[in-house]
Amino acid sequence: MGCSNNMNKHAAKVGWLLASPYLIYSAVFFLIPLFWALYLAFTNWNLISPEYETVGVQNFLDAFFSPSVRAAFWVTYKFMLMFVPIVIAGSLCLALILHHLPRWKGLFAVGYFLPYLASGVASSIVVKGVISYNSPLNQFLRDALGWDIDWLGSPILAPLVIALMMAWKFVGYYALLFLSGLESIPKEVYEAAEMDGAIGWKRVWHVTIPMLYPSFYTVTILAVGLMFGIFTEPYVLTGGGPEYATHTWQLEIYNQAFEKLNAGYGTAVAIINSIVTFASIFVFRKVLEKWGGKHGWE
Amino acid sequence: MKKRKWFKLASLLLAAAVAGTGCQGQTGKEQEQKKEGSTVQIEFWAAPNPTQQAFWKKMADRYMQEHKDVKIKVSPMPESPSSEAGIQSAIAAGNAPVISENISRGFAAQLSDSRAIVPLDQFEGFDDLIAKRQMKSTISTWKFADGHQYVLPIYSNAMLFGWRIDILKELGYNAPPKTYSEVIEVGKKLKEKYPNKFLWARADLVKPTWWARWFDFFMIYNAASNGTHFIDGNKLSADRDAGVKALQFFADLSKNQLVLTKETKDPFESGTSVMSDLGPWTFPYWAEKFPEMKFNEKYVLSMPPVPDGTDPSQAKTFADTKGLVIYASATKEQQQAAFDFVKWVYSDPQNDLEWLKETNLPPARDDLSTNEAFVSYFEQNPQLKLYAENIPNAIPPMDNAKMVELQELIGKEALNPVVKGEKTPEKAWDDMEKAIRGVLK
Repeated sequence: MGCSNNMNKHAAKVGWLLASPYLIYSAVFFLIPLFWALYLAFTNWNLISPEYETVGVQNFLDAFFSPSVRAAFWVTYKFMLMFVPIVIAGSLCLALILHHLPRWKGLFAVGYFLPYLASGVASSIVVKGVISYNSPLNQFLRDALGWDIDWLGSPILAPLVIALMMAWKFVGYYALLFLSGLESIPKEVYEAAEMDGAIGWKRVWHVTIPMLYPSFYTVTILAVGLMFGIFTEPYVLTGGGPEYATHTWQLEIYNQAFEKLNAGYGTAVAIINSIVTFASIFVFRKVLEKWGGKHGWE
Repeated sequence: MKKRKWFKLASLLLAAAVAGTGCQGQTGKEQEQKKEGSTVQIEFWAAPNPTQQAFWKKMADRYMQEHKDVKIKVSPMPESPSSEAGIQSAIAAGNAPVISENISRGFAAQLSDSRAIVPLDQFEGFDDLIAKRQMKSTISTWKFADGHQYVLPIYSNAMLFGWRIDILKELGYNAPPKTYSEVIEVGKKLKEKYPNKFLWARADLVKPTWWARWFDFFMIYNAASNGTHFIDGNKLSADRDAGVKALQFFADLSKNQLVLTKETKDPFESGTSVMSDLGPWTFPYWAEKFPEMKFNEKYVLSMPPVPDGTDPSQAKTFADTKGLVIYASATKEQQQAAFDFVKWVYSDPQNDLEWLKETNLPPARDDLSTNEAFVSYFEQNPQLKLYAENIPNAIPPMDNAKMVELQELIGKEALNPVVKGEKTPEKAWDDMEKAIRGVLK
């Protein structure tokens, strides 16, 4: 009995020792900054002044009544409405095409994955060039169709451009998730469905898509979460404009903390952003799980 | 019992974490300095571009050869995500350098407001440095509202307008226009001949981006107001009459469809527009990408246009300028050693010449266009001569800690709606004044 206790203690020590790098890493990069941020959000510190005061919940109240924070809140859902359906439809189609490729499946999959690795700044600059006033695309639209489009100056087109650009970037990555889902559907299921008369689109709709539920779940949650962290694309392309049409949470936090030196207020906005992100993902998860439950996925 | 063990373990982890972060605050620096005996260690942050780093490394090496008691470590300032944010984070973490360059007057105002930098005019030998570098006039506009000088300007780009002289000649002009009505006249002729060309292509005119105001509003406002300060300390001191005239100019450009506010790639170089705000940093880019852009053949330079009835030869402009600051977190000994190094660098105009050759950025000196040391350089680079001549006519950014908010309001309340035709210049100015006073109170 005593010997077994000693062995358990020894195993526990070894366990703690082995886990310690991760624990230290988490403490340094997550836990300490988290508590520090919670404290900072209740102060008016600008990160550089030797003096600052605690201001209670003032930063949070200011954030609730700020037009730019309200804009960031709604803009995120606007991006979600554009990006999530586009990226899911795009990546699913791409995965279906890759799945049915007779050869070089891996090569094509890697090819479509490459935009995900491209720097956000670089791809934003490329997009800026493509939709520039004097680009071949716009010259063609003006000369052939008489359309003089202000891509980044329109409150409707500017978010659409960013959503499309992000969809291009992420479609290859999400397609890999769908592809692995497609590869794991047993052939027997299709054979059984065929015997029941499910062929063509019926087969896709009634067999493939329900069987891809785990992939849908993962991709949707990843895509929704991504919308709360958009920064580089609007920073480079629009600066959040026009009229706050592309003003995201991260832009607001960056502007406040690092441009206007309102670090305390910026941290309060970051905390509100985390709460909204958590709540939104929670709601999406519940909805998806309910839908999955109805279709036999518990 | 178990709880106590948990507590011990958690404390141990936290202690290890703190030690592991390598936090090297002021104490760390002091200890390091003691170890080195009588040698004073200075950390110098150079701008994050290779040419400026190379210049400061060279200067530091030469200085250390002559001064064995000083050790200068030159490194690029972190850009995460901007150099200002990098400095801010370093100060917060207690890792600020002793001295850094690449500081604009606006950011210096934020730093001085938080007592993160020290006034340079309190160092022994400051007046001597200003006299030796011939920068009395240039630095006079840098004085902060509290009467101190916190930044030593290194370079000053007196922002100019470039004009496509080849296209102007086609329209029958041999020189760029100098007054508002002349500019509008050129624009109208341009539209008659080339309906698809514009006078000025600048998407930022309809964006509230705060720093963009330096290269549109402040160029035109400084020229119209003879350089009257927009903000003095914590007070709005702008010249309303000149400001409304400047806004009216933007309104007229827009009304006559002379400005293109859509994103455009290289509009000036491609001839989509015939006028552009230009800094000297453009020329190395052109030499590489647009070798056909030759001075006096394809383009000429001019000071910003002025309202009708104003003498164009007296025009002022905006100074895109950055300088050196010394941080308050350094020890007195380090601060003095850093200042002595700066004084040594600027006591010889050959060092400024070396800077100019290396970076193409005009040193902030009153005598840049007249000093013998620079004559041959400007003969070889004539496009930079007008920049050099106008250094004393260039007004640096405002010295207010709320500069970002204030310049954002100039865009939001005044310039953007005027260009979009949503407000009259008078209403736009009044709305902007009201909003700015709200921030300043």
